[in-house]
Amino acid sequence: MFFKKKKADILNSMNKKNLDDMELIPVKKEDFIQRMKDLLHHSADLHIKELQNGLTLVYVDTITDNKMINEDVLARLEDAQPTPDDALKRINVGSSGKLKYVEEIIDKILKGSVIIHSDGYPIIVEAAVGTQENRSLTRPENESQVLGPQLAFNESLATNISLIRRYLTNPNLCNESFTLGKQTNSGISLLYLKDIADEEMVERMRKRIQKIDVDSILDSSTLVQLVEDNSLAIFPQLLMTERPDRACAWLLNGKVAVLVDGSVQVIGAPLSFFEFFQSMEDESVRWQIATFLRLLRIFSMIVSIFFTAIYVAALTFHYEIIPQTLLIPLGESRSLVPFPPIFEALLLEIMIELLREAGARLPTKVGQTMGIVGGIVVGTAAVDAGFTSNILIIIIAVSALASFTTPNYMMGNVIRILRFPLILLAGFWGFYGLMIGFCFLLIHLIKQESLGTPFLAPFYPPRFSDWPDSIIRFPLAWTNKRPHLTRPRDRIKFQTRKSKE
Amino acid sequence: MVNTFLLVFVVHSMQLGVGIQGFQRIIFLEAKHDAWISVLISGVATAVVGFVMVKTLFAYESSDIYGIQYDLLGKWLGNALNVIFVLYCLGAFHVIVRNYIEVIQAWIFPEVPNWLLALTLVYLVYYALNGGLRTVVGVSFFSVVLSLWLTLLLAYPFQFAKWDYLFPMFEANIPELLKGAKQMTFTVIGFEIIYTIFPYLREKDRVHRHMQFGLLFTTILYLALMVVSLAYFSGGQLERTIWGTLSLFKIVRFPFIERFEYVAITFWVILILPNLMLYMWSASRGIARILNKKEKKVSWLLLGFIYLTLIFPLNRLEINMMNDYFARGAFYLIFGYPFVLYAAVLIKKKFFKKEGEANAKNSD
Repeated sequence: MFFKKKKADILNSMNKKNLDDMELIPVKKEDFIQRMKDLLHHSADLHIKELQNGLTLVYVDTITDNKMINEDVLARLEDAQPTPDDALKRINVGSSGKLKYVEEIIDKILKGSVIIHSDGYPIIVEAAVGTQENRSLTRPENESQVLGPQLAFNESLATNISLIRRYLTNPNLCNESFTLGKQTNSGISLLYLKDIADEEMVERMRKRIQKIDVDSILDSSTLVQLVEDNSLAIFPQLLMTERPDRACAWLLNGKVAVLVDGSVQVIGAPLSFFEFFQSMEDESVRWQIATFLRLLRIFSMIVSIFFTAIYVAALTFHYEIIPQTLLIPLGESRSLVPFPPIFEALLLEIMIELLREAGARLPTKVGQTMGIVGGIVVGTAAVDAGFTSNILIIIIAVSALASFTTPNYMMGNVIRILRFPLILLAGFWGFYGLMIGFCFLLIHLIKQESLGTPFLAPFYPPRFSDWPDSIIRFPLAWTNKRPHLTRPRDRIKFQTRKSKE
Repeated sequence: MVNTFLLVFVVHSMQLGVGIQGFQRIIFLEAKHDAWISVLISGVATAVVGFVMVKTLFAYESSDIYGIQYDLLGKWLGNALNVIFVLYCLGAFHVIVRNYIEVIQAWIFPEVPNWLLALTLVYLVYYALNGGLRTVVGVSFFSVVLSLWLTLLLAYPFQFAKWDYLFPMFEANIPELLKGAKQMTFTVIGFEIIYTIFPYLREKDRVHRHMQFGLLFTTILYLALMVVSLAYFSGGQLERTIWGTLSLFKIVRFPFIERFEYVAITFWVILILPNLMLYMWSASRGIARILNKKEKKVSWLLLGFIYLTLIFPLNRLEINMMNDYFARGAFYLIFGYPFVLYAAVLIKKKFFKKEGEANAKNSD
């Protein structure tokens, strides 16, 4: 008991000390102006305007709205009393207030506020007149689809939250704000629906964000690497989207969304592995089509990872398994190739990766030419010159194509890269090596977690009630339950019978 | 904690292993073309033993065989029995890897050395064990689910089946059938995992049902395999076929693939992985309990130790001898000892009711 009390006392006094540690605002006008200039290092865009009546305005003109300053602040302050109260009364800006400490006003100035100092008072009036340099809203580039809303997030946190709020007009939508990065002071927002999202899940995400101690967060793709469960894992464990409708669908399923100021991607958690192969369009099309598309994507993932490796294994060690009718064309096309299959395959795979990487950074028009030169000219020439076989070109092209069907860019990358170790394993130990690689991937996937939930759900651990909306999709009326994965507080989305009628 | 439903997969995947690759011949040698009856008998035996095992465990609230033996026989004798069980698990691990490597070397890669094949398997087990029981059970779940399609391939030999081979039925006499059933030991063991996994199952009241489901599933699979083999191979052929199941895959033929046994044999990795993982998990749990050490570290040591035993070369005859000895030991341990243990538990419960429960909990 005694100790507890003492501890509390120490905490209290520390609090006070912290408050005292903050610098009070200089009362005299000259001191104040000097202090501001010092603290902002005489920055060229720092504007200090002294009014006749003893008020001083300080702002950074590159991040403030000139029109607002002129009309809503300057024009109104011209005949004001030089007191903070009067200044506050007169200015015509929605977000304004009083501040006591220098650190606070520096922060406000850098966020686009104008501050008003009254000679002889230790209190500052602040008014937010910042501009938001914004792209206008555009169509989603990376997750484009035919049906559904054609709208993507942009780089402004406020705009992004407003987009989500427009979809979810719901008082339960909670928005918690954090500041991360010692140098950048980036704004982070954590969004969730209070009556649906599991409190423990939200707390876990909150803790992870608070624990981060870095100097800068420039994009959500760097934040995602700091909050994910296992940084050593091959697969991404949290998904990002640029579609507001998808972010809202996540929130409605009890997930949490994390937004970063300056980033077009929104992070969602927790995610299961199979959600990386879903697209929002699956909800828009009929369920038979959606099921087909989802199965196709899973199939193409498997093809993309294993097809080339199977070719290498079969041709290096196990040509007995190839039927005779198939063996003849294979042998013919390989008869001129001087390399063993593993070299042949690696050569072509690396060529495809080169083409992709070269095309990704170039402007569209040059990129198209690149594709034609690389794909057709080099491909044909490689076969004619006897470097590779025709059949391998088909296989590599199919598996490259298949890797691009993955709706998620990050997962697509992983799938493409995974081919290389598997080709090596297949080239060394044939099907046995391939199987070892497969088992390793399986164990690896089973071990992963996404925000503390199993990554392979709903298949392991098996949760049959989640199966209707996993790698298949049943009619909407059947999928009236939120997934177990997020442990939602309210499992039922709607009553089946009513919606069917 | 593991969902009890998954016990079906754990039990089934544990029973399925290297034994199934060639159990037809050794049963056929005893029971001739009535071998399927022996399979049925062994299935019934596993169900009975499974029942006794679960009953034994139910006598204690949430303890495993190590805790029960410790409670029954005290520190020294109990721990001695625990060591025997651990040795049995390690032996099973060794035998499985040995047999699988032998199959790989006989069918696919005669040149690839023991140490390399053993290293890959041991590494996979190490990697999964680091993820804890959740990962291990996950592997056995996927091992069953992902290999279900293999059973469909039985349709190929089914086309060529000559059902006359099965008749006349009931020619073998009872001792022959029982001897055949005894030969099944090596193939059906694995369900003793319930002895160690029991404390980790969530819904205890459903343990027995799911255990029996797993056993039933295995029995049906073995029975189907045996019947198809008997009808597909002639008697003389079966006597000379060491790996009957693998030979069945030989005639599977698709437009783009034939000689399917190459795929099947390599696919077997995923069928034996659950065995290896769960045996190693049980063994390291036992040792960790006796010595009061961390399970993970014990499993690393045991894996290193067993890897050293695996690189020691053995020829076909020695492997066969080892299998026989192991099967004999396993027969008494799995089909005899559980009854003794159950009887001991019952006696103990009757005479020292309160004391026993307290002990088991302490040792947990």
